[in-house]
Amino acid sequence: MWRLFSLLILGGALVAPAGFAADAARGGTLYAPCAACHGAQAQGNPALQAPVLAGQDAGYLARQLRHFRAGIRGAADGDTAGATMRAQLAPLPDDAAIDDVAAWLASLPAPRAAAVEGAVLRTGSNYYQSKCGACHGARAEGNPALFAPRLAGLDADYLARQYRNFAAGLRGTEPADRYGRQMRLMATALPGEAELRDVLGFIAAQSQQE
Amino acid sequence: MTRTIVLALVLALVGFAAGNWYAKPRAPAQEADAARVAASYEGGFRADGESAAAVSERLASGNITAVAGAPGEHEIVVADGESIQEAVKRAAPGTVIRVRPGTYHETVYIDKDAIRLVGVIEQGRRPVLDGHGKLNDAVLYSGNGIVVENFTITKYKGNGIMGQAGNNFEIRNNLIIDTGVYGIFPQLGKNGIVEHNVLSGIEDAAIYIGMSDNIHVAHNVVFENVAGIEIENSRHAIVENNYVYDNTGGILAFITPGLPIKTTSDVIVRNNFVVRNNHPNFGAPGSIVAGIPAGTGILVMAADEVVIEDNIISDHKTAGILIVDHANAANLTIDPESDPNPDRVAVLDNVMYRNGYDTIPEVKALMLAGMQRGEPDIVRVGPSTGSCILNRSRYVTVGLDDFGVCGFGNTDATVTYLLPPVPPRVIEPGERGKIAYLGICSGCHIYGGRMVGPPVQAIQALYMDDPQALADYIANPVRKRDDYPEMPPQNYLDPETRLAVAKYMLEVRN
Ligand code: HEC
Ligand code: HEC
Ligand code: HEC
Repeated sequence: MWRLFSLLILGGALVAPAGFAADAARGGTLYAPCAACHGAQAQGNPALQAPVLAGQDAGYLARQLRHFRAGIRGAADGDTAGATMRAQLAPLPDDAAIDDVAAWLASLPAPRAAAVEGAVLRTGSNYYQSKCGACHGARAEGNPALFAPRLAGLDADYLARQYRNFAAGLRGTEPADRYGRQMRLMATALPGEAELRDVLGFIAAQSQQE
Repeated sequence: MTRTIVLALVLALVGFAAGNWYAKPRAPAQEADAARVAASYEGGFRADGESAAAVSERLASGNITAVAGAPGEHEIVVADGESIQEAVKRAAPGTVIRVRPGTYHETVYIDKDAIRLVGVIEQGRRPVLDGHGKLNDAVLYSGNGIVVENFTITKYKGNGIMGQAGNNFEIRNNLIIDTGVYGIFPQLGKNGIVEHNVLSGIEDAAIYIGMSDNIHVAHNVVFENVAGIEIENSRHAIVENNYVYDNTGGILAFITPGLPIKTTSDVIVRNNFVVRNNHPNFGAPGSIVAGIPAGTGILVMAADEVVIEDNIISDHKTAGILIVDHANAANLTIDPESDPNPDRVAVLDNVMYRNGYDTIPEVKALMLAGMQRGEPDIVRVGPSTGSCILNRSRYVTVGLDDFGVCGFGNTDATVTYLLPPVPPRVIEPGERGKIAYLGICSGCHIYGGRMVGPPVQAIQALYMDDPQALADYIANPVRKRDDYPEMPPQNYLDPETRLAVAKYMLEVRN
């Protein structure tokens, strides 16, 4: 008869991730032209569809910038906001520049997001905890160990657009974009628009409480 | 202590009298209830091939008090300083392993049948299994006919005693204190007894009957845990004569959505003291267990045919009995394959007082909407069909207007759901991954929600089509989430089983 486990104890080895040294001060200088859309404090500008960058994880930001550069993000037909961003990469000639600007942005304080009108926070909390929190953190603060960005503090319209972009295959389809593909698999997890709104309301509320 | 209870009772009865006097008359009068009280509830569980008459006879005979089979002739004695695991390795099925008083720092895996792990108690000294806050589990068994008794278990991070797909188990006379997420946790077992244990300081459920059938939980003392006694996605269980106090929620019968076995039904909760379960909830925020409102005596969530009889249920700030569907529960989402409603719940006679004195806003809102006053003993939220109550005018109830009068007044005809030893679960060769998933992983992972570990849906997104990476992770998990406990290593499973369970986990769709 077969049983669930048979005794066997194994050891294992751990690999420590390598770090990199970025020059945040230089990043601040490089950022100057970006402020036109993203704001002087990188607080975002919904009127231009330009998201908050302040306080976001540096690894995530650098990856997005490389993905824009490589056409992994922002090149799909129909992704107009992404295309706008793709056209703004001239000030960042190389990987070092990308890493520096990302380090500077990560060092800024994350802003608060406006509350989402009509969102039912209780439902939003239920869905967020059940479907999103395992990667983005219990308070939407992001989790670098899982490459999942901070969502708290980002504008709800921007988040909704990204969520829909993932679902529609405008983002997260390239084989090289492992983390985007992970997120794409979750972009159908919410049953509908009402629940998405509730979740975004919950996420916005997290930034209010910080 | 007895004296204060009696005094409190007397006071409460005075309270009842006053309450009855002023209560507005409700539809069914008490006489009507009394007339039917003679009939007894029969859950009607049938073992394969059993006739209806045999069922009645068996349920009423009640002579089954052991299920693991007779002890064998072999005996091994483990003395302080020796290893229990070594003894298990040497033991043939049928062996009684007697563990002498002393302190043992180890995890004991029992992967064979008919092993009795019996502590020797001498002048009050028991064998102590101490995990030092480092080890995950004290006892893990996957064999059938396993007995674990007379131990003290403390300072483990995961489970005190966990059963993984083992049938015919007996877990008794253990003290399980300040230990991990689950105290006693038979998962996917049939025909088992959990009795005379004392459990305290457990972060999730002290006694957690998971996806099991024909279970008897009796004479336990369970205090200062988040959930006291939990009957989850299980059928044909009796919970009786327990003393359950100072937990966040006392006794719970429910369906957790997203588990592979989708129903809970036929649960009898009787003759328990369920008192003062107002402990602040210390479950991990966002997890399902963290959604239990502090101050809940008995919680019925989405479970069917739960019969609540002859309990003393007092001093709960939210409610004595809370009956709720999935849609109205916190921290979870609907499972399309589970019926979300608690149907055919029967509240027979219970002694209830001083409940609902500081209830949650949702209940207050309900009362306001129904223009009701008072402090609710029994609260029902969301749909529930075919449910009933006896002598409703004795209690302050909310949302019970469509509960009828029960057609039976007691559960005397059902003494036990235990059976003579049942055959071990048959595991087909190709099912290894599935059974490991059901028997182990489902204890902490559900498909689309947060239990102890992250949802399977998120794990599928993370690992996609790479089961080997998942198998490697579970052999040697690293910490990834600050707000979750650690994932216990599954390195006691052989590599093929780890890969099989990884594949299965990436395939399940609910
Ligand atoms: C013309 C306006 C504009 C300028 C200038 C601009 N951006 Fe953007 N940026 C956008 C828009 C619009 C988006 C949103 C794209 C989308 O919706 O996918 C964006 C998105 C981003 C993102 C992705 C953020 C996330 O959360 O995924 C990063 C990173 C970024 N920009 C960095 C920069 C940097 C660094 C510069 C300067 C070198 C810059 N942007 C200049 C408009 C601009
Ligand atoms: C399996 C892990 C995982 C889960 C679960 C998950 N996400 Fe993500 N999410 C990610 C990752 C990884 C990224 C970053 C993708 C990238 O690098 O392009 C991301 C990115 C996002 C973004 C884009 C953020 C930005 O600044 O552009 C949004 C919006 C988002 N997720 C929303 C959600 C919502 C809402 C849920 C729950 C329905 C959810 N996620 C569940 C992993 C996850
Ligand atoms: C005692 C509870 C428990 C049991 C049993 C359990 N897990 Fe977990 N699991 C966890 C917790 C808690 C985490 C989150 C750990 C973290 O993020 O640090 C986790 C995380 C995981 C992850 C996520 C890894 C990642 O990269 O994010 C996988 C995969 C996983 N478990 C697989 C399994 C499998 C397969 C089984 C059954 C063989 C199993 N678990 C049994 C509690 C458990």
